[in-house]
Amino acid sequence: MSAPTHDPLTLSLSVNGETHDVRVPARKLLSDVLRDDLGLTGTHVGCEHGVCGACTVLIDGRPARACLTFAAQMEGHEVTTVEAMGRPDALSALQQALHEEHGLQCGFCTPGIVVTFEHYLRENPDPTAEEVRNVLSGNLCRCTGYQNIVAAVLKAAARMRGEAA
Amino acid sequence: MSGDFTEIGRALPRKEDRRLVSGRGRYLDDLAFPGALHVSFVRSPHAHARILGIDSAEAAEMPGVVGIFTGRDLDQMTTRLRLAPPIEGLQPTELTTLPIDKVRFHGDPVVCVVATDRYLAEDAAECVSVEYEQLTAVTSITEAFAPDAALVDDSLTSNMVSHQSLCVGDPAARRAEAHRVVEARFSLHRHTHVPLETRGCVADWDDGRAHLNMHIGNQVPHPLRSQLAARLGLSESQVTVMSPDVGGAFGQKIALYREELTVAALSRHLRRPVRWREDRMENLMSAAHAREYECRTRASVSETGRILGLELEIDEDFGGYCFYPANYMARVIALIMTGPYRIQDYAYEVRVALTNKCGAGPMRAPMAITSWVMEGTIDAIARDLGLDPVEVRRINALGPEDLPYKMPTGELLEDVSPRETLEIAVDAIDVADFRARQAQARAEGRYLGLGLCTVIESTTYGSEFYKSAGIPGSGHESAWVRIEPSGAVNASVGLMGTGQGYESPLSQAVAEGLGVRSEDVTVHMGNTDIAPYGMGSRGGRGATAGGGTLYLCALKARERVLAIAASMLDLNDAGGLRLRAGQIERMIGEDWQEAGLSLTDIARRAYHEPLALPEGIAPGLDFSHSYDPPAMTYSNSTHACEVEVDPQTGAISIDRYLVAEDSGTVLNPIVVRGQQQGAIAMGLSGALLEQVIYDGTGQNLSATLADYLVASPNELPEFEILHHNTPNRRTPAGIKGMAEGGVMGAIGVLANAVSDALAPRGVTIERLPLTPQSIRALLREAAPSSTKRTQP
Ligand code: FES
Ligand code: FES
Repeated sequence: MSAPTHDPLTLSLSVNGETHDVRVPARKLLSDVLRDDLGLTGTHVGCEHGVCGACTVLIDGRPARACLTFAAQMEGHEVTTVEAMGRPDALSALQQALHEEHGLQCGFCTPGIVVTFEHYLRENPDPTAEEVRNVLSGNLCRCTGYQNIVAAVLKAAARMRGEAA
Repeated sequence: MSGDFTEIGRALPRKEDRRLVSGRGRYLDDLAFPGALHVSFVRSPHAHARILGIDSAEAAEMPGVVGIFTGRDLDQMTTRLRLAPPIEGLQPTELTTLPIDKVRFHGDPVVCVVATDRYLAEDAAECVSVEYEQLTAVTSITEAFAPDAALVDDSLTSNMVSHQSLCVGDPAARRAEAHRVVEARFSLHRHTHVPLETRGCVADWDDGRAHLNMHIGNQVPHPLRSQLAARLGLSESQVTVMSPDVGGAFGQKIALYREELTVAALSRHLRRPVRWREDRMENLMSAAHAREYECRTRASVSETGRILGLELEIDEDFGGYCFYPANYMARVIALIMTGPYRIQDYAYEVRVALTNKCGAGPMRAPMAITSWVMEGTIDAIARDLGLDPVEVRRINALGPEDLPYKMPTGELLEDVSPRETLEIAVDAIDVADFRARQAQARAEGRYLGLGLCTVIESTTYGSEFYKSAGIPGSGHESAWVRIEPSGAVNASVGLMGTGQGYESPLSQAVAEGLGVRSEDVTVHMGNTDIAPYGMGSRGGRGATAGGGTLYLCALKARERVLAIAASMLDLNDAGGLRLRAGQIERMIGEDWQEAGLSLTDIARRAYHEPLALPEGIAPGLDFSHSYDPPAMTYSNSTHACEVEVDPQTGAISIDRYLVAEDSGTVLNPIVVRGQQQGAIAMGLSGALLEQVIYDGTGQNLSATLADYLVASPNELPEFEILHHNTPNRRTPAGIKGMAEGGVMGAIGVLANAVSDALAPRGVTIERLPLTPQSIRALLREAAPSSTKRTQP
């Protein structure tokens, strides 16, 4: 057969404000490069076909599916992953609210949800429960039934607006 | 609930959250193994076919390919899985690690390609060609049981792999004397688990020590290790199973699957770490499926709706392979069917079919259909006799005066409260008010419905249950508790959580028994070298078996700690002493007062001043304990929900959902609430949307998440949860299991609510899922002029 060439390309990727030079095949997915080549394993892969939302990252500040993006497309763009959004000892307001409201169980969907709503709440600081449910419908969660995630997002929104919650 | 606990029952946030919420969890695919090889499987495109030849020459030459292995190769490296428990009516089965002569479902793994990179392994897998001779595919229970059916398993005498029946009392006599005999049918469709993290493993053979380190997200690390060792011809000393964070399992991560055994065998064969991560298509097609049942009931009833006798038939579609004894799940359904009701004359017949579909396994609430069948039967009785469904429930439900109650199958119910939860739910939903709104809506051409579903949830499964079911194995659990020289408290148990959030509630069980704060206890799970041999997590046994064993072990530790404290305080015995939040307290007069000794002081003495210990007390503070819970513990609940069905689109909206639940002593209410919500969500998602679809030739048509639909937040309501917790008198601290009943209740309550909504159109729900298409089809079938059945 005429084998396609999978010779690596050298890419310069800007992730979480740091520049990384990597050599990867042109067909390698952004999710795999983040995880395997950069060791940023917070971006999870749940379906590799764009449905579950676990792989959500920000590209130039907007949510995108890392499993539907080639790393080679990312030159000249800024990628932000969950690792930039808080640490175990310094959780973001949203992460803290997810913890308090029991908005996660296995936690596999959680990074994608955190990334989605860190972005969403900046643009829409005062959402209704229904709006939160609509946005959340892009992230599959098999464990929680979603109710607590919605409560956590609303609580984080209130706190980020400076209201006691 | 007993008010004496200080740690059990605290709403303590989960210990796992900080790492998981910040993306610092470590799931299987996050673990790095330099130099690891990657595996990709070539899978069967046919449901049923003979393997005539495999040509891998071209693939073997491709970049990065290290080896290509077939069923024949694996048969040299592993032993076969033989399942032959001495159960009457069960045919023994045996299967090879990968198929050798024929494939039995679309997605069956046929060839394993090993390469230096996952992309390259997948490239090469595409270039392996397998020649097949297609055979007739058996794709339904009816086809499987037809007299001239093709055999799914050539070594069996028929596709009926299991057949059991039981008759208690005299159901035929009850039928003869009954006012009416009411028949009902229930068809539950094929589901699959869909953990958000798919299966996978990393096998790391240590050639120097001749030892296998198996990293695998799994619910039952020790039983898995035993199986791995046995099938690789190794001793249990040569295998360590390590489970990292797991992204959900729901029963799918119990069995040792053929892919995982293959990966382990190849790591040893190639003397390299080998890894596999299943993709979503493989998970939907080839990991376990579940729940495909056809049930029929026949209830003999009096004029008032009192059930005099019940007969049940269950047929199950078990798929192509038996990873579990085929009687295993259907039998529990038959055993607990009468659940919350006073029924003594009962007969069942259970038949299990092999078909050319993915093999079935347990899925959160393996007995999920039970409550729908029983409660749907109750509603059928009410419809038939023109009675109020609440009244029919009341007249049959077990009340406090009936307990303890021995079901006709011998199962013992005690400390349950089905009539109480029924009344709580009926009150909270305000049935009279709903009926008024429903009548009003019907007058406007809108279809509102109210469903009720009372659940008896079997949990924990002690050894006595397995013994009486004829299944080898144990239901016990084991734990250790160790107080370190600094006073730090470590503990371990054989369970392995897969997202439930065990770390806090199990710490609470230890903390309660010992007398420290939960925050100061660390529970280590998921490594077979560290944890004691336990039976793992399944069947709602985490709290009673796991928490119960830890609690008892911690009580043992406390006794020793107090004995040492007594000697340090120059007391004759520990009678007036207790440990609270890590401090020794002494009863002085009527009051507990600090004695000026901490757990740290005692630990220091135990480890560093052994000569100062009282006579007969050995140095150190290291305890272990094992505990075998009762044959079964039962929780119960009543679900109620209001729906509206849009007759134009067939869409169902759930307007209100509530559940009154009795789950005994609660270790941690936050975690329990999460389990309740998650279980209901899984039940509703399955009843509304999910469905594994095979066409008539056995092709799987639902192998992406765009085809196998899982509920999003737009389909699910908020759940109101009302508690009525009765401690179990026979378990440590009164704990019962929970976490599966929500699935049982959700399926039943939704089906009943939709039947109620569509009653004016003469539609009764006998088949799930309730997709808009299926609702529309039912409405089309129901003749517009069909006799309208009315309900009070
Ligand atoms: S992994 Fe990208 S959407 Fe599921
Ligand atoms: S917490 Fe498990 S999938 Fe969302």
